[in-house]
Amino acid sequence: MGDEPESPERRTWLLGALSGAVGTTLAAIVYPIVSFLWPRESTESGAMNVVAPFKANQLPDSGGHWPPPFDFGGKPCLVIKTPGGEIRAFNAVCTHTDCTVQFQPDKGQFLCACHNGIYDLNGFNVSGPPPRPLETYKVDFRPTGTPGEEEIIVSRT
Amino acid sequence: MRTLPGILLAITLFAVPPALVAAEGEPPPEEEESKCITCHTDTELWEGEQLHLLVTEKQMAELAEDVHWKKGLRCHDCHGGDPTSFRTGDAHAEEAGFRMMEAPGDVPDFCGHCHADIAVMKRYNPSPRTDQVVEYWTSGHGQAMKKNPEDADVAQCVSCHGHHGIRAVDDLKSPVFPTHLAETCAKCHSDESRMKGREYNGKELSHDQYELWRKSVHARMLLEKGDLSAPTCNDCHGNHGAVPPDVDSVANACGTCHVKVGELFAGTKMRHRFEEVKLPGCATCHNHHDIQHPTDEMLGMEADGVCGRCHQEGDPKYGATLTGAEAARKMRRGLDDLDAMIEEAKRNLKKAEELGMGVQKPRFELKKASDALTNARSLVHGFALKPMEEVLDEGLQVATVQNETALERIGEYHFRRVWLALSLVPILLVVGLLLLYIRRRPIPGR
Amino acid sequence: MSPAPENGPAETAGWKQRLWAYLSDRVGLDAMLALGVKKRVPIHRTTVFYFLGGMALFLFIVQIVSGVLLSLYYKPSPDQAFESVQAIMSEVKFGWLIRSVHSWGANLVIGVLFLHLLTTYMMRAYRRPREFTWVTGLLLLALFMALGFSGYLLPWNQLSYAATNVGTKLVGVVPVVGEYLLKIARGGENVTGDTLSRFYALHVAIFPLLALALMGAHLYLVQKQGMSVPPRVAESHGGEDKVPSMSFVPDFLLRDAVGWYLALGILAALAALFPWELGEKADPFASTEIGTKPEWYFLFMFQLLKQLPGTIMDLEWLEGEMVGVLFFGAVGSIVLLVPFLDRGDRSRRALNFFAGVSVIFFIVMTAWGWFDELPLQIILGTSLLLAVLALADRFLQRGTPSRRALGVAAVLTVLVLIAAIIRELTR
Repeated sequence: MGDEPESPERRTWLLGALSGAVGTTLAAIVYPIVSFLWPRESTESGAMNVVAPFKANQLPDSGGHWPPPFDFGGKPCLVIKTPGGEIRAFNAVCTHTDCTVQFQPDKGQFLCACHNGIYDLNGFNVSGPPPRPLETYKVDFRPTGTPGEEEIIVSRT
Repeated sequence: MRTLPGILLAITLFAVPPALVAAEGEPPPEEEESKCITCHTDTELWEGEQLHLLVTEKQMAELAEDVHWKKGLRCHDCHGGDPTSFRTGDAHAEEAGFRMMEAPGDVPDFCGHCHADIAVMKRYNPSPRTDQVVEYWTSGHGQAMKKNPEDADVAQCVSCHGHHGIRAVDDLKSPVFPTHLAETCAKCHSDESRMKGREYNGKELSHDQYELWRKSVHARMLLEKGDLSAPTCNDCHGNHGAVPPDVDSVANACGTCHVKVGELFAGTKMRHRFEEVKLPGCATCHNHHDIQHPTDEMLGMEADGVCGRCHQEGDPKYGATLTGAEAARKMRRGLDDLDAMIEEAKRNLKKAEELGMGVQKPRFELKKASDALTNARSLVHGFALKPMEEVLDEGLQVATVQNETALERIGEYHFRRVWLALSLVPILLVVGLLLLYIRRRPIPGR
Repeated sequence: MSPAPENGPAETAGWKQRLWAYLSDRVGLDAMLALGVKKRVPIHRTTVFYFLGGMALFLFIVQIVSGVLLSLYYKPSPDQAFESVQAIMSEVKFGWLIRSVHSWGANLVIGVLFLHLLTTYMMRAYRRPREFTWVTGLLLLALFMALGFSGYLLPWNQLSYAATNVGTKLVGVVPVVGEYLLKIARGGENVTGDTLSRFYALHVAIFPLLALALMGAHLYLVQKQGMSVPPRVAESHGGEDKVPSMSFVPDFLLRDAVGWYLALGILAALAALFPWELGEKADPFASTEIGTKPEWYFLFMFQLLKQLPGTIMDLEWLEGEMVGVLFFGAVGSIVLLVPFLDRGDRSRRALNFFAGVSVIFFIVMTAWGWFDELPLQIILGTSLLLAVLALADRFLQRGTPSRRALGVAAVLTVLVLIAAIIRELTR
């Protein structure tokens, strides 16, 4: 191989620097790949099912407040509990002119304040301008170990 | 009809038609059914002054679609008389129950013979309305008709519902179906000669209502978008009791649908002041027939601002004060600021999205700001600055945060490019060192 | 166990040697290394083009790695494909990087393959006994273009939907079997979710497996037969064995590594400066936009097909598109059979002429199809032509008439290029 006289330090310096630089580039390649492989947080876009940001025993919560609509694949999703105890989920966008409806637990209905549209707890448009019922979502539960505190999972029907 | 055979015959005749007139659009069978038809469709019998008693072929065809005819009712059920006799005297005998209309003013009671009789109407509908005639007499049309029952230009039942081809109100082809109703009213109310000299409550009747309404957002919704909940003439004026809403009931008329805004307005000093000076509530600012989709420009003291119409310096019209002017300016500024911030946030989110950054969550949160803007716009009608400012501030906060998020995402995009440019440094370093190393090695090929 | 160490290096050398011995015993590493060490690479003016093969291999590996990573998040269904790519770009960490690398890498690998094809032709590396190397190489090129075509549909955006529609429609103009080919390609009459599944399977499993098999054969042949020496070089040195050479390991590999790192750098720069966009989700019912065109490596074919009339000479059965497709099929067959067609001086001159025309055709059609305005087309075309001339220059000896002709052509091209640039800037 080398018939050239070369001082060992020079070669080591070069090899060392080369190894360092190669190592850096390899790290710069491996780091993104590993980050990529690591599971992402639950997908927001195009989500087929989403876990609600509140548990089954927070409908309503201890202060008597009902949770506001949360993001379900870009649409506001309203989760309510009927007087009979059934938990239902709806797309909170009114079918008349796209205002956000509000849940009125004392009246057992959804009201759209824009033109006084009223939906019953099945989501059917019973009074006022709305031409179609509210879009219904499917509700499932996942136990968390504490009974009554199940996670609510909303998915498209 | 008083004789036993007459009654029996009438009863049989009453039972036969429903079975016979089953198919839609069939011209009604003649002869056996109702002898009225034989004479009244004979074109040779009627002329001159009596021509109006001829029932034309066209009318007979229309009768086939008539909701009464379809339910089995025949000539004598409305007009009375004896349908079994050819003899004019008997057929039209008062004893046979023949009811004649001598003047237009007779029409409401003619129809009311059944439609105001609960026992009759119950046969066709378990919970019937039987107050139409009573309502009619309270209407502008009814009042004019009472004054002059011979007036052929005043509307009565037939004017809107027709006579021999009356369709049900929810029939798409009915002249009183929501999409046709305004045209029906306009037949008279856009006719200058008919409206000439008429007045209601001391105010002369205009003839441009239909024209104006056609330009309104309500007409657009109803006729172009097909939203049947959008109001037409009867939704604000009433059906049979049609009157222009009084100055103090305009807000109630509008408030039937615009509940929230109506409630807000009802609680203000403005509302009561309006009533005192006889200003027509909502219509003062929003017009009554050509109501447009409200814009933010309507609020404030500048060009299109409706507040400036009264709250002007040096113009004590209606005793309007100037303190309101300042509040109006602030409200308008608040709305404009929030709107501008929302638009900017939307713009930046779109930019971020085009660059490939995720924007769904910020977009969702931004909707809360849009909701706040809508809320603030209705709160204008409370004419109170503080509640509006609260809502506006909340919305502005949300919009500002989301705008910042959007800018962050755009910044991240640029940061990525910088980071990648930096990563070229070790790569080029490796290339340089490799070349150096290669040069150090003995030259191959020798 | 060795006695207590006196200095560091001696001890580490020890464990490396022991590991090597362990593996060699079982896997035969020694034999592999011997093969590599034995292999030599001839040195001459056109040695640099030997790097292109390795570059293509490197880029292929990049594509496999980035592709596998993408497949962890991609969902091949019409209602999820676009959204999953969008999620990769915006939600997955470094997803934007992996995706841009994969998209750019695809273009780079095909570009490198075109150059590899051109230079191996010019070096006449297809001569006996390397005919099969040439054939497998060409099949690999076709396979890579198919990989490009199938992968293009996967994001399911307007652009790719339209391109797939047009591309698969062309398959249908082949006489007799065209209809069946179209149905098989599309998985039905139209481009639907079935097409997407099909293309996904092809892109992710079938084509890569075929590519690996062909690549294995190709590399085995290259190893077995050694690097080819261009005939003129062998002549001038008085025989192939007299041509100076460098060892494959480590000399050639080190230089190869330089190329690989440069390619990596270019890829990273492209991914950073010109990130691949996503566009809009495919809408099967939206009308195709005017100006839809395929990726650049199909552009030359597409542009020609666009010019052909509906029917040739008004004969109904002589469809313009069919003639075009068959024409390209014929050209492809000729290219495939080059090793068997090159029999002597005359045939070689004919082939060279054919090659020259093909390259010019490729450049003209690509430049024409890429831009809409003439000055830009000329700029692109002349730039590409200059690149090819620079490439060809390395093959020519100083002072020969062909080199002088090339020089003249180059000067003319530069003049035209400058004129076009000035025209474009002063507009």
